[in-house]
Amino acid sequence: MFHVYKAYPGDPPSLSDINLHVRKGEFVFLTGPSGAGKTTLLKLVFCAEKATKGQILVGGRNIARIRESAIPYLRRNIGVVFQDFKLLPHRTVADNVAFTLDVVGMPRREGMARVTQVLKQVGLEHKAGSLPLRLSGGEQQRVVIARALVNDPTILLADEPTGNLDPALTVEIMDLLCAVNVRGTTVVVATHDASLIARYDKRTVRLERGLIVADQDGAKAARRMAGAE
Amino acid sequence: MSATAKAAYFWRAAVQGIRRAPFVHFIAVLTIALALFAIGLARGGGELLESLISSIGSEVELTVYLKPDATDADAKEIAAALSKRTGTEAVVVPPDVALGRLAAQLGELGSTLTGLPENPLPVSVEVRVPEAVRGPGGLRALAEKVRQSPAVEAVDYGEEAVERLSAIALALRWGGLVGFALVLLATAIISSATLQLAIYARREEIEIQKLVGATDRFAKIPFLIEGMLQGLAGAAAAVGGLHLFWALAGPRLSSLLAFLSVGGCVARGVDPVLALQLAGLGCGLGLAGSFVAVGRFLRV
Ligand SMILES: Nc1ncnc2c1ncn2[C@@H]1O[C@H](COP(=O)(O)OP(=O)(O)OP(=O)(O)O)[C@@H](O)[C@H]1O
Ligand SMILES: [Mg+2]
Repeated sequence: MFHVYKAYPGDPPSLSDINLHVRKGEFVFLTGPSGAGKTTLLKLVFCAEKATKGQILVGGRNIARIRESAIPYLRRNIGVVFQDFKLLPHRTVADNVAFTLDVVGMPRREGMARVTQVLKQVGLEHKAGSLPLRLSGGEQQRVVIARALVNDPTILLADEPTGNLDPALTVEIMDLLCAVNVRGTTVVVATHDASLIARYDKRTVRLERGLIVADQDGAKAARRMAGAE
Repeated sequence: MSATAKAAYFWRAAVQGIRRAPFVHFIAVLTIALALFAIGLARGGGELLESLISSIGSEVELTVYLKPDATDADAKEIAAALSKRTGTEAVVVPPDVALGRLAAQLGELGSTLTGLPENPLPVSVEVRVPEAVRGPGGLRALAEKVRQSPAVEAVDYGEEAVERLSAIALALRWGGLVGFALVLLATAIISSATLQLAIYARREEIEIQKLVGATDRFAKIPFLIEGMLQGLAGAAAAVGGLHLFWALAGPRLSSLLAFLSVGGCVARGVDPVLALQLAGLGCGLGLAGSFVAVGRFLRV
């Protein structure tokens, strides 16, 4: 799906000489210690940051040289679960989720049906009318996931999607992400939760100080993580 | 990708934006309203002045006073020449008719005039000068021409009043134009500043919009609509204000100016054309302000 060579600036480069290929429909864990560059890598993919060097292909398109005006259309195919949520405090949960649909011009009535459906998926249909600040951290996180999913993206980038969730909810959300993946969406999950990686048998890419130090497919990664624990 | 859904969204977003920051929008509307009110008032004043000048101007009469020794034939000849030049009839006024007129104008004092042993007034020729000939300098040229005739003592055409009024009107028109431009500029700047505040208040929303795939245009349009609505609201307020102003001040001004025989046109409302012009101007101002604001602030 994307084909990445890049170095990223900053006084010490946050990412240097990354080569990564994720196939369409794959499920990948992106792991590594805090500050390793996981978020930065995801940002490059949806053009929130520009690569300083190298090529990034998304869906066959080179986004290192993408025109500014084409970025919005790229982003409509990428759902992003932001590490810092980025919810609008003065809008209801439903409005926050519907935001993604407004942008593509979906009529409100149709959009609301879709919103209700994804909120049900993340177990928040009863909170549709609440304001985000009135929700717990885990609930807010699920709103963000719902917003990322509502538009049926072909790629889902999730940055610590289970960071604030208890084990039971974590399982639920991970199952949801897996289900999305099974339907054909490419899913990349950034996390430093080793137990998560151990429990799910998926390809795992490990970043450290901006370098890829390991790239293992499902079974091996799970075994290694289980051993490390 | 429905266009109506988008239009509905834009309106909703604009109205929400105004509702969420009523104070800044109120300030912008107030500014635009004041500016448009001033412009409307200046227009009304200008029209008043125009009608004043033309009512004085329409009374421009050229009076040629002949020398005491001028003959009736001289008078007839001059009258004929004037008629030819102006295209209207020039009238020879014999001294006794002139005296009678003067006596009537003076009222009670006039009776002393009739007691004079000898009529001191000369023969004169009067002609109403039509608009076309009057023009700038036309009147003066005509007077000079007539003055050259040996039988003519003096030519009087109220030049001072007419020329000075015209000069004042011209100065006012230019001053008004400059003032108009300045007021428009200031208003556009203020309206733009308030919209920049509105954009600043919503920068988070815009950022997220763009992260979920909104185009620049999509993020901008609600602000343009807000600017336009500001302009329309301002125009509505200004038209209302002008209506009120003329309703209250009109009659008073009317009686004040009655002696100038232009009283009639003070009793005016705001005609629909002016209202439309102000609405257009308001819209333009609001849009210009929001264009600037959006251009400067929406490089997310
Ligand atoms: N906007 C930025 N400007 C400059 N440096 C940045 C910026 N964002 C991140 N960095 C730097 O890039 C490095 C990688 O940051 P990044 O957010 O990608 O880490 P991460 O792997 O997501 O960490 P975490 O697990 O804590 O979320 C860090 O050293 C950080 O200081
Ligand atoms: Mg991060």
